[in-house]
Amino acid sequence: MSMRAIKLNVIDLPKADYTGGPSSLCPGCGHDQISNVIIQAAWENGIAPETIAKMSGIGCSSKTPAYFLGKSHGFNTVHGRMPSVTTGANMVNKDLAFLGVSGDGDTASIGIGQFIHAIRRNLNMVYIIENNGVYGLTKGQYSATVEKGSKKKKGATNENPPIDLCKMAINLGCGFVARSFSGSKKQLTALLRAALSHKGMAIIDVISPCVTFANNDESYRSYNYVKGNEEELHTVDYIPHFTPIEEVEVPEGQFEDINLFDGSTLRLETLGEDHDPGNPVAALAAIHEAEENDKHVTGLLYYDSEMKTADEALGLTDTPLVDLSEDELRPSKAALKELNQSFRA
Amino acid sequence: MCTQTPPRRLQTMADTVNDFTVNIATANGTGSQSANLILLHSMFEMGVPVSGKNLFPSNISGLPTWFIIRASDEGYQAPGDATHIQIVMNKDTWLADVEKAEPGTIIIHNMDVKLPVERDDCIVLGMPMTKMARSINPKLARMIANMYYVGALAETLGIEESAIASAVTQQFRGKEKAIELNLQAISEGRDFARENWNCEIGYSVAARDKDPNTFLIEGNEATALGCIFGGINMLSWYPITPSSSVAESIISWLPKLREAEDGGATCAVIQAEDELAAAGMVIGAGWAGGRGMTCTSGPGISLMSEFIGLAYFAEVPGVIWDVNRVGPSTGLPTRTQQGDLTLLYEASHGDTQHIVLIPGTVDECFEFGWRAFDVAEQFQTLVFGFSDLDLGMNRWVTAGFEYPDQKLDRGKVIRTQEQLDAIENFGRYRDVDGDGIPYRTLPGSGLEPILYRGTGHDEDGVYSEDPEVYAATVARLKRKIEGARDKLPAPVMREENDKQVGIIYYGSVENTIAEIDDILESTTGMKVSTCRVRALPYHSEVERFIADHDQVVVLEINRDGQLFGILRKELPVEHLSKLYSVAFSDGIPPRAQVYADMILETLSSDTKEVIA
Repeated sequence: MSMRAIKLNVIDLPKADYTGGPSSLCPGCGHDQISNVIIQAAWENGIAPETIAKMSGIGCSSKTPAYFLGKSHGFNTVHGRMPSVTTGANMVNKDLAFLGVSGDGDTASIGIGQFIHAIRRNLNMVYIIENNGVYGLTKGQYSATVEKGSKKKKGATNENPPIDLCKMAINLGCGFVARSFSGSKKQLTALLRAALSHKGMAIIDVISPCVTFANNDESYRSYNYVKGNEEELHTVDYIPHFTPIEEVEVPEGQFEDINLFDGSTLRLETLGEDHDPGNPVAALAAIHEAEENDKHVTGLLYYDSEMKTADEALGLTDTPLVDLSEDELRPSKAALKELNQSFRA
Repeated sequence: MCTQTPPRRLQTMADTVNDFTVNIATANGTGSQSANLILLHSMFEMGVPVSGKNLFPSNISGLPTWFIIRASDEGYQAPGDATHIQIVMNKDTWLADVEKAEPGTIIIHNMDVKLPVERDDCIVLGMPMTKMARSINPKLARMIANMYYVGALAETLGIEESAIASAVTQQFRGKEKAIELNLQAISEGRDFARENWNCEIGYSVAARDKDPNTFLIEGNEATALGCIFGGINMLSWYPITPSSSVAESIISWLPKLREAEDGGATCAVIQAEDELAAAGMVIGAGWAGGRGMTCTSGPGISLMSEFIGLAYFAEVPGVIWDVNRVGPSTGLPTRTQQGDLTLLYEASHGDTQHIVLIPGTVDECFEFGWRAFDVAEQFQTLVFGFSDLDLGMNRWVTAGFEYPDQKLDRGKVIRTQEQLDAIENFGRYRDVDGDGIPYRTLPGSGLEPILYRGTGHDEDGVYSEDPEVYAATVARLKRKIEGARDKLPAPVMREENDKQVGIIYYGSVENTIAEIDDILESTTGMKVSTCRVRALPYHSEVERFIADHDQVVVLEINRDGQLFGILRKELPVEHLSKLYSVAFSDGIPPRAQVYADMILETLSSDTKEVIA
């Protein structure tokens, strides 16, 4: 009897070490596809599962950390407040790789303040928004990201303009802003692998159809609508740092290589008009144009690797603070004596 | 009588030594705080038992401020029920300040304000303070004018020149020009008083043996230093009076006390976007294995409440200091109250119960500052520090802070595979030891990872809506916090042989209790025992104290009797009929006579609330 060889990643772990529990979301939910991409990307990148911290808020999307990376600690926090909990954890253990999963209600409404401030501080994390335009767990109310003119399965057409989280992130100076679609597995995997290789805040806004409340054709976030109205800026290829780039076939057309923090590369191959991901104005224009035409623009919208992360800006000691010894945490008896004396003088 | 025209001879009145209250009415933003602290520190320097209360407005410049200095050989630290010397500087409150003076009060006023002081029944002493200040520095005259009343008081009360010089030097540390200028103004104030008032006002200070170890410090700075000695890893904070100075003190002391060998910081400090985020950061830090703390006041606690419930239910350690101010709502932001006790003890929706540490002195602010982290990690829960504006923002005496008497207690944290293997049937929320406190592993360790959650969970941390699992979980949480009672700071008790009346109190009432006690004894002969509660859930000794006394008054600075309510809920029913609530709050630190009168009235009242 021959054993089929189990495929291992660069740190010799099978993909099974990156999976989680069974999903309790609706069958066909876009979020489950994203969970699969997370499993795939973390495994392919060869990240040790225990070094990842899964963070989420409240909502359908925020339940998903139970369905991937079962060997990583995680925290399903409170509605819209995942960024602050991540901030506290990051401050005391800067060596953890933080992977945040949130939804459009969680991020664009109740948690919009924390989203903004996490970007402003350049918190070192990957922040995925599983964006379906509705509140799923409370049965299908519109969220703040839904497009004007979009209509869910039941109820009136939405008349409010959307909050575009990518535009917002670019305006706030986020160094890695991408948009993708849960149905575009290849693109999403490459973008997520690149986000995991980035240092600083990396935001991926993923359009993820809600199969139960908004998968009708009049919904701009339904599977069929996105399939027919997605405009890819470029095709994306991720080349990990452990694969010599010389061995990768060079594309025939125009392309641009983005060099990521951990030595990996994101190769953007031009489709149609050239997009410069280093230009925030061009990124905003691309989003704006798509919005005007009721389209969804996807790809790496904006990239800037020059910024200090929140923990770097604070000048923390090299050792993660959780690993400091008692001697490093509590000043000495002599220090207290001197302190008392200084007050007496 | 004192006069302002050159007197024929020096007149003397009966002299009251080290037992008087000075009330100084100024506008904020005029530098009066420096002047007032110089008076306070100079008297302290002479060994005069003295306390200061700053009654300041929620404003940066121009609104009325009163500073009360009480000298008391008895050691009384309350603001005092009477004012003996009134300084009037502020035109906006001038007429009211003059009018409310009791007959016989010494009124010292700035003649340049040019408002009347028509009080024949008081001793009225004027000085052209602004004009004199202008002659030495026209630009800074408004600020320096305050130093003239310092000089006038120094002269009339007999505050030693060396003590003044030392206090001025301390106040303007390193600013030679300011020291010189202010000393000149004080000296001119002295000269003017001597040459023009030429009398004794009937009150004076006399030097006492000062313990060379003592110094004055604000409660908030003591708390901050306690946190630093407690190994704080992460401070998140959102500015709010009266707690901001806890955070600002930590920030200012960290570089000196907590720098790592590589020069890096060992405590991250984040000014959060709001109190919700500040609380979230504390919980994130605790979850990851660090020591996180935020400081706030009542409005912040209201905002943090959702997170507080998460920490309770998911069992994440963290520390929140609440420096109470007057509520509800924005309330009186710069006034003091013990208004948040119930809020802290039961914060957040559903059934919750939180540990609250309640310092009553600056020494305890320091001690509970470090201890709170140990308690939080020991019980894997949020721990509150309960302070108030009076304790936190006024200066109190200490003989120096004491070094922690135990090592850091990091609680039941499993850090290695061997430790994990030693536990049979490990589960994040399984009560292995029978004390309600489970073991935890940390992110990054790879040991038994779980997804922490605020939703229902079983002993392994897995989502559960099972009725039995839920009921067992919250019953264990109750048991866990109940188990803390006698491990938290025990009450401080002073018991009379005759166990008739006992007073239970907490926090900054400590500053008034001795005087209340003396008033009760001197006016009615009543000898009361006292019991200062220092933590919630309250210690079993508190119940014993209640059991031992015939009548027990619960004395507190709020309207509704919040500790009274907690005791009434938790005590065995047979004790309830002997409990009396005396609760009052008007924003001003408690005055002894007010509370003593209320106690007597309550104990003698026939209309005492009948408790089932």
